[in-house]
Amino acid sequence: MSKDSKMRATINQKLTEMGERERLKELLRAKLTECGWRDQLKANCKDVIKEKGLEHVTVEDLVVEITPKGRVLVPDSVKKELLQRIRAFLAQHAT
Amino acid sequence: MSPAGCPHVNGFKVDNWKQNLRVIYQCFVWSGSAETRKRKAKSCVCHMCGAHLNRLHSCLYCVFFGCFTKKHIHEHAKNKRHNLAIDLLYGGIYCFVCQDYIYDKDMEQIAKEEQRKAWKLQGNFFKACIFPYRHTLYAFSVGEKYSSWEPTKRELELLRHNPKRRKMTTNCTIGLRGLINLGNTCFMNCIVQALTHTPLLRDFFLSDRHKCEMQSNSCLVCEMSQLFQEFYSGHRSPHIPFRLLHLVWTHARHLAGYEQQDAHEFLIAALDVLHRHCKGDDNGKKANNPNNCNCIIDQIFTGGLQSDVTCQVCHGVSTTIDPFWDISLDLPGSSTPFWPLSPGGDGSTLNGESHLSGATTLTDCLRRFTRPEHLGSGAKIKCSGCHSYQESTKQLTMKKLPIVACFHLKRFEHSAKLRRKIITYVSFPLELDMTPFMASSKENRMNGQYQQSVDVFNDNKYSLFAVVNHQGTLESGHYTTFIRQHMDQWFKCDDAIITKASNKDVLDSEG
Repeated sequence: MSKDSKMRATINQKLTEMGERERLKELLRAKLTECGWRDQLKANCKDVIKEKGLEHVTVEDLVVEITPKGRVLVPDSVKKELLQRIRAFLAQHAT
Repeated sequence: MSPAGCPHVNGFKVDNWKQNLRVIYQCFVWSGSAETRKRKAKSCVCHMCGAHLNRLHSCLYCVFFGCFTKKHIHEHAKNKRHNLAIDLLYGGIYCFVCQDYIYDKDMEQIAKEEQRKAWKLQGNFFKACIFPYRHTLYAFSVGEKYSSWEPTKRELELLRHNPKRRKMTTNCTIGLRGLINLGNTCFMNCIVQALTHTPLLRDFFLSDRHKCEMQSNSCLVCEMSQLFQEFYSGHRSPHIPFRLLHLVWTHARHLAGYEQQDAHEFLIAALDVLHRHCKGDDNGKKANNPNNCNCIIDQIFTGGLQSDVTCQVCHGVSTTIDPFWDISLDLPGSSTPFWPLSPGGDGSTLNGESHLSGATTLTDCLRRFTRPEHLGSGAKIKCSGCHSYQESTKQLTMKKLPIVACFHLKRFEHSAKLRRKIITYVSFPLELDMTPFMASSKENRMNGQYQQSVDVFNDNKYSLFAVVNHQGTLESGHYTTFIRQHMDQWFKCDDAIITKASNKDVLDSEG
């Protein structure tokens, strides 16, 4: 494993252990709903389902179609805020 | 995903499968306690590549974790013929034979219960999510996870019985309705418009959360509920609020009569009566304690104002915190002196308003409101530290911010000599940050911390959604309201007439 991914794993471990990961998830969830991201992607999902047909569509289809769109549509302000919060947390709990 | 469901789970549902599944949820999906979290942090990595990302899944038949994206779990499933795996992020169950996520009723039930358990363990950290301007219901009790609404049997019955549905688009005008003026009742109409467009209040009433305990027909909360139904019924004709007016006259005698009244007084009186009539809504928990009320009015409008009195001799501080529903601000030009500002008013920009133009801003008024005020020699306070009467300074700051903040500009002057209206234009922003006026900010400044660190946890920012204006003089005038709908559309409510307005119209108005 590269040094980068090792660091990622360590950070993730710390976040999970202290329950911060869950809190960040909830914060992200709230922010993305607030700015309309969730509703937009929900509409996109409905389109994909209509296209492929309710009987035949799989979760994988949705993941493949929606993930790239979803990633692009996250507002910069949300990214900034989450990043800030992670930084603050790490600064507080640096070993 | 075939509607018939997945037959392959039956191979899994043997022996003690329920308990085993629960353990998997508790340890690896929704870890509630500190030790399960620690274990999850350490062990939840892919057994093939060590990554913790890539949609990690756990095999349901043995102890194996593998990435979904890199197909490591797929390999395991093929080799060992273990057909079922669980997504560690969301708890979904995947069947490799059906090649899709499956939804087994029993398993879903277990998943829901375990999720709820984990949430309870994590305590009251998660605040109720507030979604302004979006037509979504949300949990009111702090500490309960927001989950999407699922209808009960009775609700399904009602929905089938009443098949007509209303669709909310961005351009629909549902929620906008004029109010007939019943004889100088514009003071009531303008406040009613503002209240019916307060998102939290609207959602409370539209989800039927008021359980009336009053015997007579004079419950104001029930009448508000009716009012909301009228406003959101889709009717476009103006509504005649005669019952509301009658109830107001009954419960707030000082507002009765056909002469022009003060809208601010009406707001406070209305909130007070609603608060008193809300007794039935919190299961009778606090009936008689005014300081511990949990009714919807208090949840939305009540804030805490901190008053610090500092003795000039011993520098001891005596602090009291009083609840408030609104913030009444003095204006320049009134008989109480406005200038000079407290230290810190150095012409810097705050909240995007420029100080240099000379126009008074809302922030100026707030700064003045929270400045330290020297209580001259004529108003000495008994100091508990010095045990004698000393001169002191008094300062007001915000201890707790209400969810909806009402600012009242004191334009009507009723002093002994004169009765007049101050028409100084006060500019106000669309977004307001209350951080500089908080008690905690003041403490930071006093401790020498001048750098205001960006506090991501406490959001002290407000968005404007209603403005009430008064045109005319003290003797004869007229109230109108601007309200915000659908995030960025403004409308002007002039009694029975509703017109579309622009951001500029709102910001240019007197306030």
